Amino acid sequence: MKYRMEKNPLTDEAEHELASEIRQLAGSPAGKGSRPPDAYWQNLVVKINGKIDDATSGKALSISWAARVAIPGVVAIVSFLVGLHYYAPDASRHAPSVAEVVLALPPAAIDSLLVDPSGADASLSVEDVATDVFVFSRQQIADYFIEDGNPGAAVDGISDRETSTILAVLASEQK
Amino acid sequence: MEPPSDNELVQEVRNGRRQAFTALMRRYQERVYWVARRIVGSHDDADDIVQETFVKAYLALGEFRGDSSFFTWIYRIAVNLSLNALRKRQVLNYLHESELLSRILPSQDDPGKDLENSEIESALQRAVTTLPEKQKAVFVMRYYDEMTYEEIGRVLKTSVGGLKANYFHALRKVREYMRHEIQDGEKPPYG
Repeated sequence: MKYRMEKNPLTDEAEHELASEIRQLAGSPAGKGSRPPDAYWQNLVVKINGKIDDATSGKALSISWAARVAIPGVVAIVSFLVGLHYYAPDASRHAPSVAEVVLALPPAAIDSLLVDPSGADASLSVEDVATDVFVFSRQQIADYFIEDGNPGAAVDGISDRETSTILAVLASEQK
Repeated sequence: MEPPSDNELVQEVRNGRRQAFTALMRRYQERVYWVARRIVGSHDDADDIVQETFVKAYLALGEFRGDSSFFTWIYRIAVNLSLNALRKRQVLNYLHESELLSRILPSQDDPGKDLENSEIESALQRAVTTLPEKQKAVFVMRYYDEMTYEEIGRVLKTSVGGLKANYFHALRKVREYMRHEIQDGEKPPYG
């Protein structure tokens, strides 16, 4: 009998009884935490208006981390292709080395390809560098995201869709 | 003289009168704040969410068609932002739990501690934090704000039947949590 009641509990009375019991256990009808002082609400409106001003004036143009990295990279590649189009390699001329091509790129484009410039060291040998420069270790990723001991920075920049993807991966790993 | 309705204020904002949006903010800031705070559990996070809610609402006001009330619309934005904040917190908690982060931040004795809701003042609030996100949102809207299922359905875009089931499960879990914590002085094993 008890089992059947549990399986069919969605009555108004059952809901009311449960809510009443919780209110009794909670000891207060509202169960609110402490309300921020009145000055908070005044400042809140000012802060929001300031953010709206920033957003509508273009100062807070939102560019994701990926876009900030990708845009200079894309510009560099397009510039390179345009350069190739107008200055096609001539077999009779000296072919530029990779180093010359890289040095010809704008500095911002080079920086955009570096994930962890702090880890670079002039004394590094070729053997010290990973075979594939686009494969990063978990350590490197963490170093990049966690700035000044602020782990919150690790998730501030990720989008809601990325968050869902990460959680799905974590859930599948836990299984 | 009666204060202007939400729709009148929205129309004024569309006509370029920013003060009308300030009036809407003053009208709803507390309710938006509290729904966010009850879902995410801390003042700081709720503060961020209420600001983001109004900024998003202002920027998207052109898309507000008036199918639902302005309050339902802005409430939906706040609930979605709150649930997204919870998901991000889950990722952050995972990072804290990983051995990787403990190597990077060795100075913190309990790195996850500051992520937990230090401001949680009552057993009820603690119980709410243990609920799955959907149940948490329904519980906050129904228990605290006493919204009807139809209103909640418009916010979450879910059927009334599903909401009732969610709310009932939430009520039972909260009751069990509180019985254990208050009457026995210990937390229940789940959570």
